[in-house]
Amino acid sequence: MADFNVNVREVGVVNIIELKGYLDAHTAPELESAFNKLIDDNNYKVVVNFDELNYISSAGLGVFMAYVETMRENKGDIKFTNMKENVYNIFDLLGFPMLYEFFKDEKEAVDKFEDKSNDQ
Amino acid sequence: MSLPFANVKRSRKLENTIFASIILFAYQMIFVERDSVLMILFNDALVFGAGYFWYLYLSEFVNKKINSPLTVILNAGILNAVLFFSIAISSTFVEGSQFQALKGNFIFLMFSIFVLFVFICVIGYIFSTFKGLTFLRQKTESSKYFNTLITFLIIASFTKTIVLLDSDLEFVHNTFFVVTILLIAINSIKVSWIAFLVKKQKIYLLIIAVVLSVLFGLNYALFLEESIIVTALNHFSPAFTTFISLIMIYGAIYFGIIFFTALFHLPTAEAFDRKAEEVTTLMDLTKLITRVFDFKELAETITTITTKICNSDSAWLVTKNDDKFELNSVFNIGYVEAEKITNYVLTKFNYKIDEVLTLDNSSIKVEIKNDIRTFNFRSLGVAPLRVHNRTNGFLFVARKKEMAFDDDDNKAIGAFGDYAAVALENALLIEENIEKERLEKELDVAREVQKKILPNVTPQFENLNVESLFIPAFEVGGDYYDFFELPKDKLGFVIADVSGKGIQAAFIMAEVKGIFESLSKLIESPKELLIKANEILKESLEKKSFVTAVYGVVNLNTGVVNFSRVGHNSVMICRDSVVEHFTPPGIGLGLDYGEKFTNTIKELEIKLNYNDIFILYTDGIPESQNANHEEFGYKRFEKVITRNCNKGLRVLSNEIIKEVSTFSKDCSQHDDITLVLFKWKLNNKISGDN
Repeated sequence: MADFNVNVREVGVVNIIELKGYLDAHTAPELESAFNKLIDDNNYKVVVNFDELNYISSAGLGVFMAYVETMRENKGDIKFTNMKENVYNIFDLLGFPMLYEFFKDEKEAVDKFEDKSNDQ
Repeated sequence: MSLPFANVKRSRKLENTIFASIILFAYQMIFVERDSVLMILFNDALVFGAGYFWYLYLSEFVNKKINSPLTVILNAGILNAVLFFSIAISSTFVEGSQFQALKGNFIFLMFSIFVLFVFICVIGYIFSTFKGLTFLRQKTESSKYFNTLITFLIIASFTKTIVLLDSDLEFVHNTFFVVTILLIAINSIKVSWIAFLVKKQKIYLLIIAVVLSVLFGLNYALFLEESIIVTALNHFSPAFTTFISLIMIYGAIYFGIIFFTALFHLPTAEAFDRKAEEVTTLMDLTKLITRVFDFKELAETITTITTKICNSDSAWLVTKNDDKFELNSVFNIGYVEAEKITNYVLTKFNYKIDEVLTLDNSSIKVEIKNDIRTFNFRSLGVAPLRVHNRTNGFLFVARKKEMAFDDDDNKAIGAFGDYAAVALENALLIEENIEKERLEKELDVAREVQKKILPNVTPQFENLNVESLFIPAFEVGGDYYDFFELPKDKLGFVIADVSGKGIQAAFIMAEVKGIFESLSKLIESPKELLIKANEILKESLEKKSFVTAVYGVVNLNTGVVNFSRVGHNSVMICRDSVVEHFTPPGIGLGLDYGEKFTNTIKELEIKLNYNDIFILYTDGIPESQNANHEEFGYKRFEKVITRNCNKGLRVLSNEIIKEVSTFSKDCSQHDDITLVLFKWKLNNKISGDN
């Protein structure tokens, strides 16, 4: 089985989830538990960094769909950054760019969150 | 070395015995007076022969019971007592010196022959008892000593007869007699079976041994006196009388040694009993492990047994489950108490207990329901449950009073911990296996559902060739395609991919089929149909599930295709050997249930030309991978289409699949593969001319 790794780190009020390897039905529960932990700690502002992710399956996509509502209800969001072209194409085909914010760079996504929190 | 006539059936042995006895009896009757030494020697040989067969026959009974040596010893003792009393009583009635006078009396003759046979019989039994005991639980070869003993017993006996010939030869007999006694002493040391008796039996044996030793001694003493029976026996066979004397000495020595051995074994009897019990329990446990699949049940047995064997007050077993410790079974302690004590001990040692650990004189304070309670333990033992260098739990054993756990207790606790570890591992493996089987059954159901959902036949029309191909993945991937014949010469078609796999995907597929089948008859526009489908799915689709699809309608008269795409792969059209992708905007079903979905979705209208190929597929084709995790991709896909677009649809679809499977030959198929092809066969220009 191809390996998969989730790493969570904090940048100010934002939590960055770094993904590595192959995200599919078998590895999705790892990402789910990372999201659950963030919600338990009341962290709703999430940036997912796809820099080292090579593949995502429909089950992997489903994880974001499952948690985005909770984040948004609590004035947070899930934003995507640093996606490889082949991974982005999958998101694009499904229509994710209509519903989620995508950034080239992690910093842009974090800034976007901070702008908003400053506004409030 | 096997003795002659020893390896025959019991009934045969009995026949031999009776035969030998009859010959002896006949000889006694015929030659009442045996004057020459040769005749006496021959008589001795007959007596020994009969004795030998009696011995062989009686050994059968002794050997059957030899594993409970006390019974055999008791039997031999009773028989010996009978001899003792018969000699003692007979001598009070008749003096040995009166024998010569009575010799001619027929009734007395018969009586003394009867006595002779009784002695042969009893001595045969006692001797076989000695032999059985000597070889009982012997690990090393000891038959050499015993065979030497038998040889000397016989030589010492027969030399007694030879003394009749010349009394100067007395010293020869005496020499053999003494050597035989020495050999008896050597053979009597073989008493290791005593160690295997439990304490109670040892005490019992102690009493029997002292009685028997004395009894055999007294019997020997009686044989030195000239009682009537002894005189009669001596007359019949001097050698046999000597043999009896030697057996009596043997008995006195042997039971004397047994007495002292049992005496010395008494202090260690308890420890030995415990060890033996431990071994038997462990053996029982091994059997249990392979038979009982329920770990809880096993855990209970383990705590109960550990408490008993380690002579402790309570025991409990905790196992690790997803990094949490779970109490599995308690014996003689409350659940809450055991849990608190476990937490206390494990935290104290930072969960790192790699071998058996004992805490002496520990008082543990735990809070139970706002009440601080102190548990005083004389000794508390903890054994880790380790398999493959992983600790899967702990076995706790607590003793409140008396002695602390010693080395033996520690070893026992460790052993039970090991057994619990193996049992736990076993139970988990079985559980995993059951789960695996369940999943396989589930997949079978999912495949069955999928097979029923997909169309059985691909429709064919005059102007439109249709070809479809579906290859399921091992785990049902959730692909679905269908055709709907609509009024006004129109054909509706759909290709969809449900997210997720297995039975869940199969059920969503079934629902999606229902939705498309009914909506296709109600809504003409693909775009409107998909908007409606998204609304319906809102009710049933899980948050993390979605469906991608392309739905369209072909006009079978004009070749005009209207279609919309929601999240699905592009539609390809191959026209004049050039492949073009069509990806009208549209969000996958189930991703958004509001305006965004409705506002985004677009509908395309394309008029097909003669020999145009309209290609629908699922991501199983472009995303199939080879061993290097490279994807098949669109370039290869387009290439194979261009190369074969002038051939029939069947050939084209086969070529595509061939290409994909050659590419991913070293990799298992992850996802379903679905391919639907249309080819417009009406030359519009000609029809236009008409």
